[in-house]
Amino acid sequence: MLSSIFIAVAILTVLALAFGVILGFASKKFKVEGNPIVDQVDTLLPQTQCGQCGYPGCRPYAEAIANGDKINKCPPGGTATMEKIAELMGVEPEPLGEAAQANVKKVAFIREDECIGCTKCIQACPVDAILGAGKLMHTVIAKDCTGCDLCVEPCPVDCIDMIPVETTIQNWDWKLRAIPISVIDQQQEDKRC
Amino acid sequence: MLTLLEQLDKGHLWRSPGGIHPPELKTLSNQSVISSLPLPSRFVVPVPLVGQLATMSVKVGDHVLKGQALTEGAGFTYLPVHAPTSGVVVAIEQHNSNHASTLPVLSCIIEADGQDTWCELIPNQLEQLSKSAILDKIKQAGIAGMGGAAFPSHVKLNPASEIDLVIINGVECEPYISADDRLMRDYSDEILTGISIIHHLLNPQRIVIAIEDNKPEAAKAMQAAITRSTLPNDIIRVTVIPTKYPSGGEKQLIQIITGKEVPSGAIPAQLGIVMHNVGTAYAIQEAVLQGKPLIERVVTFTGERVGKPGNYWLRIGTTVADALNQVNFAPDNGQKVIVGGPMMGYALADLDVPILKGTNCLLTPSQAEIAPDADEKACIRCGECAVACPALLLPQQLFWHAKAEEYDKAASFNLKDCIECGCCSYVCPSDIPLVEYYRVAKSALKNTAEEKLQAERAKQRFEVRLQRLEDEKTAREEKSKQAAAKRQANMKSSDKDAVAAAMARIAAKKAQTADATKDSVTTDTNITDAPSVAVDSPDAKKTAVSAAIERAKAKKAAIAAQSLADKQADVTEATADHSADNIDDKKAKIAAAVARAKAKKAGLANESAATDNSATSSSAVTAEAINNPSATDSSINAAPVDDKKAKIAAAVAKAKAKKADEKKDVEDN
Repeated sequence: MLSSIFIAVAILTVLALAFGVILGFASKKFKVEGNPIVDQVDTLLPQTQCGQCGYPGCRPYAEAIANGDKINKCPPGGTATMEKIAELMGVEPEPLGEAAQANVKKVAFIREDECIGCTKCIQACPVDAILGAGKLMHTVIAKDCTGCDLCVEPCPVDCIDMIPVETTIQNWDWKLRAIPISVIDQQQEDKRC
Repeated sequence: MLTLLEQLDKGHLWRSPGGIHPPELKTLSNQSVISSLPLPSRFVVPVPLVGQLATMSVKVGDHVLKGQALTEGAGFTYLPVHAPTSGVVVAIEQHNSNHASTLPVLSCIIEADGQDTWCELIPNQLEQLSKSAILDKIKQAGIAGMGGAAFPSHVKLNPASEIDLVIINGVECEPYISADDRLMRDYSDEILTGISIIHHLLNPQRIVIAIEDNKPEAAKAMQAAITRSTLPNDIIRVTVIPTKYPSGGEKQLIQIITGKEVPSGAIPAQLGIVMHNVGTAYAIQEAVLQGKPLIERVVTFTGERVGKPGNYWLRIGTTVADALNQVNFAPDNGQKVIVGGPMMGYALADLDVPILKGTNCLLTPSQAEIAPDADEKACIRCGECAVACPALLLPQQLFWHAKAEEYDKAASFNLKDCIECGCCSYVCPSDIPLVEYYRVAKSALKNTAEEKLQAERAKQRFEVRLQRLEDEKTAREEKSKQAAAKRQANMKSSDKDAVAAAMARIAAKKAQTADATKDSVTTDTNITDAPSVAVDSPDAKKTAVSAAIERAKAKKAAIAAQSLADKQADVTEATADHSADNIDDKKAKIAAAVARAKAKKAGLANESAATDNSATSSSAVTAEAINNPSATDSSINAAPVDDKKAKIAAAVAKAKAKKADEKKDVEDN
């Protein structure tokens, strides 16, 4: 009777030691570098690097969210991004801080004949999407522009416009024809009048 | 157990899932031999897109010959486009496209000269050419898949893996269309020549020409052509398959002929199978043996509103409106013109769009022929669509998620494998336009993927930029450190001695003065007491400091006055120049820029301190600055106005508007 208790205790002790060793080894061997949640949040953010959240770029904001900051500070991402982050972080979705703007994707455009070549916009661009040199005309590489607006303010001659991205056959979303157009017979119309 | 090749030889067929049997209605257009239409006077040839590394090789005003290449390019999937007739390039501009969206694309507009003279053609014998030369000829002829997808054929003819089976697609399962049917009946020998070129390039073990059993004449013609051809008769055969829509789809036809299923996301070449349309085989033969580029194709004109339905050779770039005028088109009220068949085609919003390489049919149905779009009713979960789906998807699930805009979930139900054949919409008892929903969902998914890619690229660029700034900073620090070290190293020992000597002198002097003050203090103690000395010396310091401050103030004031004078001089100079009507462009530009900058600054100042006197005064200055050029505007108007002036005026107006806005804002606040 007593021996079976001893055996049970001995087995449990051995098991506990064995698992302790395995877990201890695993925690060293498979240690995760950095906070994986930051990476996950970072991939959800739109990477415009616009700084509208108050942080210098998307990754710092992702870090702030991981540390418990509000999730509604990203206007370029819009409600969709906010909802995805809410789902990931397991928090309640919150409406966007500023009135959610019409989320039209835009790119910067420099009116080249007005550009004086001051390079201020080049320094402001977070993704190096503006090309040019001192006292020479600058221009925006449209396909790399994230539409962050950061170049508009520094321009001393106000020659940068933010223009909406044009719809082409490649990015057309089939919704243009969603409006049902019914052809009204002229005669019917006349009768009604 | 028979091997696959033996089964192919016996003509064994497998069942493909789903499918429907819509009315075929092919007799409307397949009764007459393919004929030609009179040449129109204007052609619209869309040029390849920017992404394909293509450049125009002609410019506006150039005279081009029939078959002359209009573009040059380097991309792997790039295909050149050719002039459909001889004439003059009258414009290269955005023109409405033959696409469901009708969005404009860059097009080359050619005015025909009526001569229709060919450019120099280089005919060849097949034996003279190497395989790569044949592929190059096919590429330079701009041959794209003629079945509708218009995928570049040279890519499919140059696969990475071994090809065992070539299927020539003459199925044409879509109702109404009979272009391939007529082509097989009227040009069977040419098609066989094209097939022999494909055989030469790919060297497959078997070639199967698949034809639906509703085209017995075409099957007979092809069979006869095989016996006449030089190809070994034991590797090529005609396989007649039962009529069902959509048997002509690439993956469906492979399943029917071989029983193999092309995996999701894979291409048939990975199974050792390549499929080409009969029209493509014809075009390959024309290109390789005669040197003719792809500038015309067979198009079916059908539907009850066409007076002369049938198949016609049409030049690529003929506008739909021109072509329809030639076949006694009588539009109804609210007439639809559908490109492609009734199942997969799309209605055109504008008829002034060109025929493309993949345009196989123009359908102009009467009101009675095609029911008007019925109102969509609720899904009743009957499951008919799942039975009809040839891709074995769950259309109602896809529909739920697509309608709720849960595109990720729709993607998890393999939305990308949908071939948009329209079987589900056809059988739906609730008249739900299912395919429309899938198309919206697909494009949304595509755009999201694109955005994700762009975000990834932006992130990389951002990180690279941060790294670069960091590197620059460290490099700068390193440089200054190095320079300091260098200075020290370059110092000669004598210099060092001199420095040491100077240091010693300074130390000595200090000691001396200390001694002297000590002396003076000791002597002074006789007259005044020590504390007064302690009070005295700070006083002296204070006066010295105040003097220094006064000096600095005076200097500042002087600088300010100088700069103000400079600015005024600038402005007055500029305005003087204006009024004198003797404008130096640069000066004017600078003045405009200065005015704009000032306006901006003033605006900012106004915002930050609306009640501040200085701000108001500065805004007054700006107002002056703005008024001056505007005052000169009137004098400018009198003089011959040039562009620059207009621009300056515009800039001034803009600045004014901005300021007014900001003022209003301030007032509102």
